[in-house]
Amino acid sequence: MKNKILMGLAAVVMVAVLSSCGKKPQAEIDAANAAIEAAKTAEAAVYLPAEFAAVQDSLNAVMTDISAQESKLFKKFGPAKAKLTSIVTLANQVAANTVTKKEEVKGEVANLMTSIKAVIEENGKLIPKLPRGKEGAAVIEQIKADVATVDAAVVEAQGLFDKGSYMDALNKIKAANDKAVALNTEVKEALTKAKIKF
Amino acid sequence: MRLKKVWKKRIIFVIILALIPLVIMLMVRFTPPPPTSEVEYARLILSQATSNDAAIYSKRLYSEAKALYDSAMVNWQKENNRFIYFRNYEKVVSFAELSAKKAEQATKVSKNNVTDLNILLKHKIDTLTSLVKQINKLFTSYPLSDEVRNRISKGEMLLRESEVAYKKGQFSQAKKKITDSEQLLTDSYKIASTNLKEYFNSFPVWKKWVDITIKESKKNQSYSIIIDKYSRKCIVYLGGIKKYEYHVELGKNWVGDKRVKGDKATPEGMYRITKKFGSNKTKYHKALLIDYPNETDKEEFKKEIARGTLPRSAKIGNLIEIHGDGGRGVDWTEGCVALTNSEMDIVYKIAAEGTPVTIVGSTVNLSQLLD
Repeated sequence: MKNKILMGLAAVVMVAVLSSCGKKPQAEIDAANAAIEAAKTAEAAVYLPAEFAAVQDSLNAVMTDISAQESKLFKKFGPAKAKLTSIVTLANQVAANTVTKKEEVKGEVANLMTSIKAVIEENGKLIPKLPRGKEGAAVIEQIKADVATVDAAVVEAQGLFDKGSYMDALNKIKAANDKAVALNTEVKEALTKAKIKF
Repeated sequence: MRLKKVWKKRIIFVIILALIPLVIMLMVRFTPPPPTSEVEYARLILSQATSNDAAIYSKRLYSEAKALYDSAMVNWQKENNRFIYFRNYEKVVSFAELSAKKAEQATKVSKNNVTDLNILLKHKIDTLTSLVKQINKLFTSYPLSDEVRNRISKGEMLLRESEVAYKKGQFSQAKKKITDSEQLLTDSYKIASTNLKEYFNSFPVWKKWVDITIKESKKNQSYSIIIDKYSRKCIVYLGGIKKYEYHVELGKNWVGDKRVKGDKATPEGMYRITKKFGSNKTKYHKALLIDYPNETDKEEFKKEIARGTLPRSAKIGNLIEIHGDGGRGVDWTEGCVALTNSEMDIVYKIAAEGTPVTIVGSTVNLSQLLD
């Protein structure tokens, strides 16, 4: 009887060993995927592309490891579980950093918007002071065309800003700001040359 | 007998115990090997492609590599769901190997494209920056249509945007902007330079007038004045040698000859000073009146009336002078030539009634200007 029990136990142990020591860490996989999706929604791919790609790659590596374990007779998901947990932490960190970066870019665009509006306003006051004879002259025509282009660029940048496309808005407003400042310098030089106070 | 039975059982038990590892070893031995190394390699190569921006600069190959990698993973999962000894990873290996190959190609293509784009963009930005400088040099004071001016302005703005993107390493965006900028700027330059070329068709005549004027100065060892409208210069010759050169301001419609009274154009032709006005006789500091319209101008005016290109009620202009009050930095006169007061003092001093004043579109030909 005793031997039969022993043999039965041995069989149970063997079956248990053969039918694997661990279960696929599905909950951890889902959590990692959710964390990465959250980082994606936060636009990590736009604001922190390298960091986001690194997290995605880490998940791919773990998934390879999990599949490899599933192919084995004796499965061991412990290390994969630990890695998935750290991926969740990393993805959350990337999402948080993305929010910070996005706020930084947003702030930069907002600052440039404020400063460009001040330059545009000053240009608006200075241009009518240009010498009378300049009416219809080629130089003032070009200045007017440039002012219109800067205005259009600011409107476009504002549209992108309102849509939340801060990175695109930043590129546009930077270029517009450079042009507005160059115009301001040009107009001031012309006024100085014509001995007109401003 | 009983002892014999016990021993028999013990031997069987030992045999079973010895068989367990053997069975396990055999089970492990016959388990199909998982395609871990192939898939891991594909993942590494794909990761390399990602960090080399292949998703942007080698889009097609990268997408193919990614799809193949996903297929490898899906098939691996599918095989893992089957009974262990029925698993076949050939497809997985094949997908993984193909994925690695495509990812490798994607990296290579992406690297090449980035290098090429970097060179191309830098070249285009430099070329278009030079073109903008050239446009500003040639056409800032040249009358162009509003449409052309707007196109130049937009082109310049796009060039700036492209530069911003280029500096951030966003080559794809920079390329899009620079392509649009190039289109606008080159088209505008073409239109403007065609216009300028048409104006410079008169250059042979201008050159003849300038040569005659300088020759006369040399022959008589006297002063002659040449006004170069395009470069806004008043050049004073003495004995055929350039003595002074001053900046001038003109009528705002300075391109082309003066045709009619009030057209705010500065005439082109060979004239002479007919009267000198001191500071008490002119509101523009000092003035030198020239004999516009001369006989050639009058004939041309009549021809235009006869052709109907000017209305019968049109009147020919007069009272064209070289005078002071200039230095405003703009073309502001009604067709006269304005100098700063200090420069006018010098020109007034050396000029006499009869001093030649030749006004031309340019003293330099267009190809020299474009260079």
